Amino acid sequence: MSRLLEVSGITKHFGGLYALAGLDLHVDEGEIVSVIGPNGAGKSTLFNVTTGLYPPDEGDITFRGESIVGRRPNQITKLGIARTFQNVHLFPNMTVLENAMVGQHCRTRSGVFGTILQTPRTRREEREIRERASRALGFFGPRLAGYRQDQPAFVLSYANRRRLEMARALATDPTLILLDEPTAGMNPRETLELRDHIVRMRDELGLTVLVIEHDMRVVKGVSDRVIACDYGRKIAEGTYEEVAHDPQVIEAYLGTKAAG
Amino acid sequence: MTVGTRTGVRAGLIGGVVLVYLAMVGMIAAFDDLNLIGEQVTLGLVLLAAPPFGAALLAVRPRVVGGRVERPEPRAALVTGMLAGGLSGAVLGAWALVVDAIGIERVRQVFVAVSPKLMDIITFGRGLPVGAVILLVGGVVLGAVGGVWRTIRYDLRRPLSVGAGVVLLMGLLQRIVPTILDELSIERDWLYSKVTLGLTWLGAIVVFVVAAGVTAFVMDRRERAGAAAPGAGTVEGRRAFRGVLLLAVAFGLIVLPQLAGTIVSEILGSVGVYVLLALGLNIVTGYAGMLHLGFGAFFLIGAYSTALLTGANLVTAFGLVAPQFSANLDFYVALPLVIALGAGVGALLAAPVLRLRGDYLAIVTLAFGQIAVILVTSNWLQPITGGPQGLRDVTDAELLGVSFRTPQSFYYLVVAFCVIAVYVSWRLASSRTGRAWNAMREDEQVADAMGVNTPRYKLLGFAIGGAIGAVGGALFAVKVGTVQPGSFEILVSITTLAIVILGGLGSVPGVVVGALVLIGLPGLLSQFEEYRLLIYGAVLVAIMILRPQGLIPNVRRSRELQEEERTQDAWQQIFGEPESEQEPAAEDAR
Repeated sequence: MSRLLEVSGITKHFGGLYALAGLDLHVDEGEIVSVIGPNGAGKSTLFNVTTGLYPPDEGDITFRGESIVGRRPNQITKLGIARTFQNVHLFPNMTVLENAMVGQHCRTRSGVFGTILQTPRTRREEREIRERASRALGFFGPRLAGYRQDQPAFVLSYANRRRLEMARALATDPTLILLDEPTAGMNPRETLELRDHIVRMRDELGLTVLVIEHDMRVVKGVSDRVIACDYGRKIAEGTYEEVAHDPQVIEAYLGTKAAG
Repeated sequence: MTVGTRTGVRAGLIGGVVLVYLAMVGMIAAFDDLNLIGEQVTLGLVLLAAPPFGAALLAVRPRVVGGRVERPEPRAALVTGMLAGGLSGAVLGAWALVVDAIGIERVRQVFVAVSPKLMDIITFGRGLPVGAVILLVGGVVLGAVGGVWRTIRYDLRRPLSVGAGVVLLMGLLQRIVPTILDELSIERDWLYSKVTLGLTWLGAIVVFVVAAGVTAFVMDRRERAGAAAPGAGTVEGRRAFRGVLLLAVAFGLIVLPQLAGTIVSEILGSVGVYVLLALGLNIVTGYAGMLHLGFGAFFLIGAYSTALLTGANLVTAFGLVAPQFSANLDFYVALPLVIALGAGVGALLAAPVLRLRGDYLAIVTLAFGQIAVILVTSNWLQPITGGPQGLRDVTDAELLGVSFRTPQSFYYLVVAFCVIAVYVSWRLASSRTGRAWNAMREDEQVADAMGVNTPRYKLLGFAIGGAIGAVGGALFAVKVGTVQPGSFEILVSITTLAIVILGGLGSVPGVVVGALVLIGLPGLLSQFEEYRLLIYGAVLVAIMILRPQGLIPNVRRSRELQEEERTQDAWQQIFGEPESEQEPAAEDAR
């Protein structure tokens, strides 16, 4: 297994608040790694810094051995890191299929002139975009299939919006997918379904998955490795069992007394 | 006071204020010269009748109370409507009495539009106390009609309102339709009177009956088709219908100037120029979501660069001289350069504003528009642009010996370019580029995170929009033959934006309709000219409140929503209820 993502000594502060304070972590190819930690531990900031939404103050992030600090989000996506957002961010007035088609943007090339002249290449590419986007939606079975594909995204149910966001990320043909609390707000059945989807992303699509998750059943069910964070630092790392029994982790979640 | 009374009074007062306003700015008097039907119904009278009617509609509109839509009872609606309408009329009547008491001449010193003619119109020539009573009674009657209107069945109301709308439109088109009928040597005296210029009563009734009948027929058929076979044959049917419609439009576009005469062709030429401009702005603002308040600058750039590249002359005290920079190119050689310049300047402007969004971007673009006008009028550029006098002798866009100076031939030229621009807009809308713009408009940051190079697509939007706008400018220069800074005031930018908003942001047919309404109608009705800006303002406010998505929204939602439901039902019958689909497999797999 080779190193895919390596985050070393990342610091990010907003005013006086340190969201990330020298965080180190790495993700190997083919792994499913969960990041856990209480609210405000810096988990989402880690994703935002990794995907280039804002630059880190210190530290380095490498993807396949190449530094990605200072690159624009779209360049990072093109390198093969896709993500979802904690609060679902879709393109609400575009159709479900169009949302996924946007994901294919960085894998395709046709430009204005090809479009205006309708060159065979452009038409072929447009067809491929459609097929691949449809395939990405098909990952979730009948949930996003059929008539739904032509509906605007805003009419979808909450769970389907989350699924669509993941499908859109899958449509960028990533190597590494970052899922930010994918089961937040889902009911127990949907959560279980999603747990299987995360495993399928690796087993069927060959992706590496880095997931922020609060639902411990999901964390337990999917993770090869769990990383616990608090105050922008890594406080524990290992298998689910190891991390779950780590005194520092229990302290972070439950407070000092319970740990003692 | 009951709820009904209160809303009635409020709506009535609004209607009354609108009436008094319309009277005092002189619109009622000015539009009274325009006969719509016979000698009796003038546009002024329609304007006088609309506020009480509208007030009643407003007063009895269905409202949401506690999450339920509540429609007033027919009797309550009648009473509330009468109250609202009557109050509107009474306010104007009271105003007339006050004016009369003060003395028209004294009022007129401040409000110049308050003329004896106006008083005559609003009192229906009966003089004062009587006129005020007529206003009150008329208001009550109109209010009653408005109140009852809301309570009639939709399948009756819709044909009636379409009929009335078409009659009004035919009345307004009195300078086009009769000319066309004459040209086709169709007997038209029964329809349009030669004396009043407007519709005859017989004509109006026939038009009304035909329009209402056709609407009722179409509604009935649609309902039956929907009940008989949900969703069957709609795709082919619609495609065929669209094809026929396209052919009809194309044919109409080709023959129209021949039939409608010079004046109409001239107006349609202006409409075409604005269609080009608005299509350009539609890409920047409608597709890519970047508000541009200085789009007239591209119009200016297109016009001036065309003038300079094709050898126009400066107007100076010593007569016409060649500007310091000029080239004597053929129009069609110069045009690609003009387009490239428009695109280049568009991209150049975009470069410094890539980080700006929303309001900030709007302010910068507003300044950009002003800078362009100030530059061409400046002393510094006077040797090239001719300063306030501008440039003369812009070349004719002659092609194979055909001149495009006459309104008719220019019309064909501009329509040709409009067709190209429409095609480009249409293709781009559903392309990879269009999706990137769309995504950027919806959420710039997320679009970037999904792999869309947003700076690049902003530049591209400005460049393509600028290029299309510059073509509009080039054609304008050819049409007028001279280029003066006065033609590129900020009003051009505002009008263009108004067209795009009226039609519906991002909607290509909307742009065409918007240009026809905002440029075509005022051009056809000379009475409109004076109140053009007032009407623009009112139209924009109304559209923002009543139909913010524009006249022809770019999402084909309204039509599809009903169909969507049918498809959903069908889909559920095949696959079962999708959302509650049981997923026991997930449990069992453990």
